[in-house]
Amino acid sequence: MMEGIKRKLSDALDLPQDIILNVPRIIVTGKIAVFIENHKGIIEYNSELVKINTPVGIVVVKGKDLLIKTIITDEITVEGDIAAIGFEE
Amino acid sequence: MLIIKIWHYISGYVIIKIVGEYAERLLNQAALQKLYLWDIKRENSNELIAKVRVKDFFKLAPLSRKTRCKVRIIERVGLFFVISKLKKRKSFLVGALLFVAAVYLMSSFIWSIEVKCLDEELRLSVIEDLHQWGIREGVFKYDIDKEYYIDKLMTEYKDIAWAEIEIRGSRFIVELVKKQLPPELEENTPCDIIASKDGIIEEIIALRGEALVEPGQTVSKGDLLITGRVTLSEDMSNMEEEGNTLLVHAEGIVKARVWYQKAVKVPLVEIKKIPTGNSKKSVVFQLQNHILNFHLGNIPYTLYDKKILKEIDILPILGRLKLSIVEYVEMESTKEFLGVEEASRKAEIQLLSQLEEIADQDNITQRKMEFMLDSDEQAVIGSMIIEVVEDIGQKVEIQ
Repeated sequence: MMEGIKRKLSDALDLPQDIILNVPRIIVTGKIAVFIENHKGIIEYNSELVKINTPVGIVVVKGKDLLIKTIITDEITVEGDIAAIGFEE
Repeated sequence: MLIIKIWHYISGYVIIKIVGEYAERLLNQAALQKLYLWDIKRENSNELIAKVRVKDFFKLAPLSRKTRCKVRIIERVGLFFVISKLKKRKSFLVGALLFVAAVYLMSSFIWSIEVKCLDEELRLSVIEDLHQWGIREGVFKYDIDKEYYIDKLMTEYKDIAWAEIEIRGSRFIVELVKKQLPPELEENTPCDIIASKDGIIEEIIALRGEALVEPGQTVSKGDLLITGRVTLSEDMSNMEEEGNTLLVHAEGIVKARVWYQKAVKVPLVEIKKIPTGNSKKSVVFQLQNHILNFHLGNIPYTLYDKKILKEIDILPILGRLKLSIVEYVEMESTKEFLGVEEASRKAEIQLLSQLEEIADQDNITQRKMEFMLDSDEQAVIGSMIIEVVEDIGQKVEIQ
């Protein structure tokens, strides 16, 4: 219900959806970097798999030689050979 | 991003190893506490490598206890650690500073003296003289007054046309150019003696060669006085023949009366500067040749004299920084009417001083001075004619 109003509001006023809806913004740079804004922490990290908690579920980044370039309160940058990005409920 | 890397390097960071099952939890906690971690890499199943700022590292310790991880430092990177290491190694730091100071100190002495001159004989004698005047290895270079030594060289050596002194690093370099003196005629080279000036012959003694003029005769510059062509035959008719003349190196004394004329002009009205009693002081900074003035306002005087009251050398080693206090004394110009008598007297004094430059008192046979007003009666013109007896002979090679 609330979700629907917010979506309509952001549509009507042309406001950025990620701020209004409290959802992560994910920026993928080629196959080398993933930048996730508005995250809720790392769940699992190793060089082949990174699981990051977000308000809409878990974002899974798969690949090779993965490296957490930076991590601060609401930003994470993952670098490496990225193969797949997916969501898990 | 480079700027951030440089900033990290300057402020210093540590590379740490996080060991534990739940290393991810530590990362999350750190992020929540606004601790900045970067370049996090999985080493193996329960080890992570990460970089963290020095400040943040200390805050990481309580978190690691909470998440049951162990944090170990692998490497310390950055200027922060270099400096703190140096702080511990005080004697090393003192040594390094001493080294720099020693290099500086050593470079403020003269360690080699070079004289650049084509003439080897002159070169060696200049080196020796410089040594005696106090320029030697180990002399403090800022104490050397170059002008003084140039003047001294120029007065000591009459055959130096040009000299320059340069202090380059710890080298004292003198460059000399020898004067090209007119070549001395060698003994035995056939020559004539001619007159170098106009005059009346007073005395002529031909030591070798044949005198062509007699005492009392007037000669002009360039006239032949003693010839090196000696006729062997008494017979005058044969004189033209080559075989009868012998070429010799003429030698002799030719004294003649010659005249010199000098004139000076002394204005009847003399402008004199008299201090009015007003003065103003200012401070002047001087760094080598750059002058920085600290005036207290403009100098309100139209006519003034500058007097240096005090000169202080601040840090003579550090680029000769000088501080001097300069006094500006206001002057007033007054006109003083000298009168013909006084002006003539002044003209005479000036003429007499010029006289000394021309000839010795002993050689002067006649002196005549005249004073008169110039055409517009503004000045006195003093003229002087002196008669001097001197040797006017000059040797010229026979071609």
